[in-house]
Amino acid sequence: MANYQKLSINQLSFTYQHDRVPVLNDLTVSVPLDHIIGIIGNHHAGKTTLCRVLAGIVPHIIAGNLVGSCQLGDQSPVQDWPAYNQQTGFVLQDPHSQLSGLADTVADEIAFDLLNHGVEETAIQQRVAAVAAQLQLTAQLQQSPDSLSGGQLQRLAIATAIVTRPTVLILDDPTSEMDPQGRSDFFNWLKTVTHTTIVIVSNEIDELCEIADELWVLEKGHLVSHGTPLQVMNHLSPKWQVATPTIYQLASLMNWPLATKPTLFPVNFNQLRRCVNVNHSN
Amino acid sequence: MSTIQISNLHYQYPTSDFQLAIDQLSIADSLVAIVGQNGAGKSTLFKLLTGLVQPQKGAVKINQRNLATLTPEERLRTIGIVFQDPSSQLFNPTVEKEVAWSLSQLESDAELVQATVKKALASVGLTKLKDQNPFDLSLPEKKLLTIATVLAINPQIYLFDEPMMSLDWPSQRLVTDLMQYLAQTGHQVIAITHDMDWAAATFSKMVALAAGNVVFEGTPTNFFSCPEPVKKAGLLPPRIMTIAQEVFNDHHVYLTPQDYAEKYPAHQ
Repeated sequence: MANYQKLSINQLSFTYQHDRVPVLNDLTVSVPLDHIIGIIGNHHAGKTTLCRVLAGIVPHIIAGNLVGSCQLGDQSPVQDWPAYNQQTGFVLQDPHSQLSGLADTVADEIAFDLLNHGVEETAIQQRVAAVAAQLQLTAQLQQSPDSLSGGQLQRLAIATAIVTRPTVLILDDPTSEMDPQGRSDFFNWLKTVTHTTIVIVSNEIDELCEIADELWVLEKGHLVSHGTPLQVMNHLSPKWQVATPTIYQLASLMNWPLATKPTLFPVNFNQLRRCVNVNHSN
Repeated sequence: MSTIQISNLHYQYPTSDFQLAIDQLSIADSLVAIVGQNGAGKSTLFKLLTGLVQPQKGAVKINQRNLATLTPEERLRTIGIVFQDPSSQLFNPTVEKEVAWSLSQLESDAELVQATVKKALASVGLTKLKDQNPFDLSLPEKKLLTIATVLAINPQIYLFDEPMMSLDWPSQRLVTDLMQYLAQTGHQVIAITHDMDWAAATFSKMVALAAGNVVFEGTPTNFFSCPEPVKKAGLLPPRIMTIAQEVFNDHHVYLTPQDYAEKYPAHQ
């Protein structure tokens, strides 16, 4: 029976049309809605395909054999895609491929989906301005999308995805072309987004451990680990070849475990501060 | 080991106001990181170093020879570039042919070409994909392929534009090991990067650019001990330094967690 408070994936497998080997293999996992879920894993792990399933692009646009179920709250990207799609924002790995290509300006590109949703003109202007401010694109609003840098294009793709106020936001490696400051600003902004279930694929393990409620580790199409960043990072198998956050590396080298869980090392600033305070006061 | 000498170099694109202006810069280290914000001039400097664009003033000299006077063959054997976007340098129908292409322009011995291609593909772990179309590869695989095409030529100087971008962790380690091997075997490796953790851990020299000018050249330790050029270049220090500052109020320079652990007793 569906649990309307959760994102639930049950025995999910997927094989692309014309392929023989499944890209996703018997995934079962569930987390409460409004959580931030970080998906990590190496290449050919199935991260992008899982994002496509969660966005409904697979199997509705990209064909293949999907087995099992995927449910987000009271909707399913597999069964009720048109309705589900109205509530979902998706940022593709390559930002160029998701822009309409029809807009002369950044402002028109951001407004594109709102026009399709029949939002009235004044509201469109307000929402475009607000989203541009959030993603530091205000100065570029009257420029052509073609004139933007890689990092600005990624921010524009995110702006187009969030302007419709989706309750589910799926981000496939959204910061790959951003510079360090832009990336840091992006993750700080992501922390402020509320009432939204966010699924993000990223190699930025330090940042993911700061913001994610849950990490999923994929390896060759299998979900090999899931749980809080603290649990997942402290129980990695070397054969998954997954990077660890700097704080975890430091605490392991210095032998600074958590005071409350002496077998685990901290993975983010809050945990490190707590364990250092205890160590220093002893 | 090669020496690159840049003097009074000036370049301006025909369609923009951006100008790259470098009075003097000498690069003689084996592992050099070129850092700076988007638009600082890093890629333009790479284009000048490979002769893809010609300076309006000044010159680039490699081992005291002006780059502009090298023949195309000499240039190929002197300096190789791995672009940020691998698709911009791939055009052959198979992975193997892609690696063989540039080398075939220099070398007529087919057996030698074949053996060299085999070795280059093995170095980046792409042997199994040799018959595939390069455009069917994933982005990290394409990036490794472009590295193999340069490895096959074995130039004296390797230029990498954002080599860590789009690579997963095992590929990042493979490429870092490869760069260190190249440096140890007498090559010069110069990389553009935004990744300060990686730059701090990997390179012996850093050159920072801001608005078309060199704002710093020196060791990573010296670079990160001067907040001004780091800020001017729009960069952040390695994460280990941010952790030391924010959690311990410790403002020493640390390049890696291992560096912190080694210095910890002395700093207490």
